[in-house]
Amino acid sequence: MKQFGKILKFELNGYLKNKIFVGITIFLVAAIAVAMFIPNLLSLFQSDEAETPPAELPVMLVYAEDSELSELVKEYFSETFTDYTVTVAEGSVEDIKAQITSGGAECAFVMHNAASYTYYVNNLSMYDSNVAIADSVLQEVYRFTAMVQGGLTAEEASEIMSVRIESSTATLGKDQLQNFFYTYIMIFALYMVILLYGQMVATNVATEKSSRAMEVLITSVKPTSMMFGKVFASCIAGLAQLVSIFGSALVFYQINKSAWGDNAIIQSIFNIPVDLFLYMLVFFILGFLIYAFLYGAIGSTASKLEDINTSVMPITFLFIIGFFVVIFSMTSGTVDNVAMKICSYIPFTSPMAMFTRIAMSTVAWYEIVVSIGVLIGSVVGIGVLSAKIYRVGVLLYGTPPKLTAIIKAIRKS
Amino acid sequence: MRLELKNIDKSFGEKRVLKGVSFTAEGGKAFGLLGRNGAGKTTSIRILMNVFSADGGEVLVDGKPIDYDEIGIGYLPEERGLYPKKRIIDQLVYFAELKGMSAKEATKAVDYWLDRLGMTEYRNKRLDTLSKGNQQKIQLITALAHDPHIVILDEPFSGLDPVNAMLLKDVVKEQITKGKVVLFSSHQMSYIEEFCDNIAIINAGRVVLHGDLHEIKRNYARDRLVVSTTNAERLKADFKDACSEAENGALILRLASPDDKQATMKRLVENYDIDEVKVFEPSLNDIFVEYAGEQI
Repeated sequence: MKQFGKILKFELNGYLKNKIFVGITIFLVAAIAVAMFIPNLLSLFQSDEAETPPAELPVMLVYAEDSELSELVKEYFSETFTDYTVTVAEGSVEDIKAQITSGGAECAFVMHNAASYTYYVNNLSMYDSNVAIADSVLQEVYRFTAMVQGGLTAEEASEIMSVRIESSTATLGKDQLQNFFYTYIMIFALYMVILLYGQMVATNVATEKSSRAMEVLITSVKPTSMMFGKVFASCIAGLAQLVSIFGSALVFYQINKSAWGDNAIIQSIFNIPVDLFLYMLVFFILGFLIYAFLYGAIGSTASKLEDINTSVMPITFLFIIGFFVVIFSMTSGTVDNVAMKICSYIPFTSPMAMFTRIAMSTVAWYEIVVSIGVLIGSVVGIGVLSAKIYRVGVLLYGTPPKLTAIIKAIRKS
Repeated sequence: MRLELKNIDKSFGEKRVLKGVSFTAEGGKAFGLLGRNGAGKTTSIRILMNVFSADGGEVLVDGKPIDYDEIGIGYLPEERGLYPKKRIIDQLVYFAELKGMSAKEATKAVDYWLDRLGMTEYRNKRLDTLSKGNQQKIQLITALAHDPHIVILDEPFSGLDPVNAMLLKDVVKEQITKGKVVLFSSHQMSYIEEFCDNIAIINAGRVVLHGDLHEIKRNYARDRLVVSTTNAERLKADFKDACSEAENGALILRLASPDDKQATMKRLVENYDIDEVKVFEPSLNDIFVEYAGEQI
């Protein structure tokens, strides 16, 4: 235990004194700061813009054989399409097309009758929603006209048209949309940190081995102390990095709170409920540990740093598969599908899958207990196993040993 | 203090690396563990240090199973290397702490050894800025700083210049006089001969020779004579196959039996112009080649 503490301290110092580690953290904090100040920066530019006269609006043409219809449509469109100057076109359809291609007008609605039109536009933008808007406006116009023709007064008709349905939503379980963002951030942070730090643990072990510092270490220290010390140090370093990044994000958000107004995404991120935050922490730490142990064990079987990239690939794949199952389920909104249920009990995927289900669905307490229990058991088991692999692995030089050879050696020892 | 390895067996997979290795090393004396490459020296040392557990046999200190919490072991491995990118003082203190010292004790001990080996000026430098010989001196500190009961030095002299070799000799002698068990493993026989009172030669996982070096030499079959004479050609012609020439030009006469010694000497002195005649005492090198050279 005493050795564990010393190893932890030494390894942690290694991270905190690492210029790249510190540099990346500072860079990310700075990037977050810039991001959180964006609304304030934008409003600086916007106030400048307000003083300049508004730019000329693009022209939208409306045409119908029936001049009454064209006037009516123009009236409604002017109210709806405030980004355009809506005018009634004169001349033939050919003239209108020529105006559009020459740039004199941006688009045109040529009405065949009250319920049918052709929309002319030069380049149809990906985000052009004019047709959809026009459809709903024209539907309204059509219904209104029909009602008036059917004998209702204009007031009665407009009252019917503008009736409001009052509604409210009471969420008894989880609001998926609200919880989506911090779930997404947690999953993504876990993904980044595990891949990054896992690789660091593996490299760290392999470096000790290739520099032969291992020869002295292994004779002074119990492999379990060594493995747990290294992995916990990397876990603390990873958490410290995340805390400084997200902590500074929170501080900068508080400074700029007014400028963000009621941006729903940002609010949902910073208003994470305490219980979810605790779950996040538990799953994050356990998920991190289980992978870090595996990476450490793999690192001990490599004799050269170059071998690591190929050796860690199976673990990386295992993790990425879990990641994609979770992300696809999240974005499709079905976080309780069979794959997710299975994944939330497998220790390699449960940190992501179970957390997502807790955040975005309703999970029974005993399911959570089982999932966390399995995970804790696996962390300890894999930790001890990886220490055994480490003990055998670090003194093997040459080509990385086959899995069967490692298993044999562990069973012997 | 008495360190004893008793009937140690060890296999890696199908390969039996140690087959009942036993030897005894006394405190206050240096012990030489000899053997060719792959004979099982490093495996024996690792079992002694509890890196591997033995398949059979035991490691005893003063007749009782070794308690690794009580008995400190210092080790200079043959494969040298520490953390190249870390400051020397940081890693030396770390290694001493891992051996159970407090941070304060460790710093004090490390500073003493840096001074003793003339390395104080490199205290705050990174290890990879040092020359190979100096890195080796730093590594030696990891083996000695925690004042261990047992000091294991694997090829300690390789890579050292004569001045540093002298310094290391002094350090080793000091450790011996302090009553520690000093275990040498080396291929440089001259150093073993200089330091070690007792040796064990391991060949293919077995101890083939074990005991007091002087006694081994004395008990060595006294069936050869070293002759220095001006009548070399005549002597060669007379003794034919029994006579061979040593590297230094002296002649070696192999006797049919050690009992012929007296008679042969008399015959030599009477018949030839002899400058010197004595019983041949083998060097450790000769012994090593004889015991470790075969059977592999």
